[in-house]
Amino acid sequence: MLSFIATPDFPLASLEVGQHFYWEIGNLKVHGQVFLVSWFVIALLVIASILATRNIQRIPSGMQNFMEYALDFVRDLAKNQLGEKEYRPWVPFIGTLFLFIFVSNWSGALIPWKLIKLPEGELAAPTNDINTTVALALLVSLAYFYAGFSRKGLGYFAKYVQPTPILLPIAILEDFTKPLSLSFRLFGNILADELVVGVLVLLVPLFVPLPVMLLGLFTSAIQALVFATLAGAYIHEALEGHGDENEEH
Amino acid sequence: MFDFDATLPLMAVQFLLLMVILNAIFYKPLTKAIEERGDYIRRNQVEAQERLSKAETLAKQYEQDLAETRRQSQALITAAQADAQQIVAGKIAEAQEEARHQKEQTQKELDQQKQEAMRSLEQEVDSLSRQILDKILGARVA
Repeated sequence: MLSFIATPDFPLASLEVGQHFYWEIGNLKVHGQVFLVSWFVIALLVIASILATRNIQRIPSGMQNFMEYALDFVRDLAKNQLGEKEYRPWVPFIGTLFLFIFVSNWSGALIPWKLIKLPEGELAAPTNDINTTVALALLVSLAYFYAGFSRKGLGYFAKYVQPTPILLPIAILEDFTKPLSLSFRLFGNILADELVVGVLVLLVPLFVPLPVMLLGLFTSAIQALVFATLAGAYIHEALEGHGDENEEH
Repeated sequence: MFDFDATLPLMAVQFLLLMVILNAIFYKPLTKAIEERGDYIRRNQVEAQERLSKAETLAKQYEQDLAETRRQSQALITAAQADAQQIVAGKIAEAQEEARHQKEQTQKELDQQKQEAMRSLEQEVDSLSRQILDKILGARVA
């Protein structure tokens, strides 16, 4: 869609949006660069987990300590949204959402992927591809529908007409706006952040982009937190239902 | 920018796979570890609490025993002192009694001897006075 080709001396300073490194599987096209980085992210998470749980001690140290901190963080996140009673089965889902998005964002911001040349497109955070964010957002939708149906069966539909049937269209609309806002919020933030950093690097290669990069790290972390928190909030809403709480999203 | 293709479902599947894997190698074992540690700490704390309260009870018991013993010994001492006092008083009284008794006896003997002496003296006086009378008036009377 837009692409600046920088001087060849600055391999770091180039912007490419909308160009993808296509892989063909059968007659399906997939974005190779997204999968490459997502595999890197997944490998990072899996290796960290294995290191942490390889030799579990009662008194944690090193990697175990670090990953326990991470686990405590996502457990608290799930607990705050879902409540003490419900949160346990949802920790893996919400926690993996947070960890995957967070590590994706930061790997996109911290690792100079542009040093690795691809035939087409460029490596970047998987979350700056709309496919990834929509996939995650749809999974969140499925998750809260699953939560609602497994809790209340078909009675889950009662929540659409619960306060008053007049709000039925809005309630239905909500089911579309939720994944839409989730996915576009994440996609937009990460892509915009990378674009801003890219443009600044293009204009002033040294030092000036650093504050923006720091800001980018901050936004990346916040976006991961927001995504996971909202997923928890939606699931909680589906579990409780009946508008007996008024959360604002 | 918005070209959706097979990346989307594959990414979703991949994410679910990651979730399952992390659940097996990360969430479950570490949650278990954390909960076991929590249990361990709680158990130890309860045990320590119990031990502490037991120790406190024991200390109180000892304190009470000590106080009791102290009181007993005090009572014993007091009793012994009272006994000793009594014995002393008794002995003194006895001794005084005996002394008085002896004194009385002696006095009595003395009196007796005095009387005897007086009597013999009187007899002597009588005989003497008769002799004197005899000497002076002897002839006349006789």
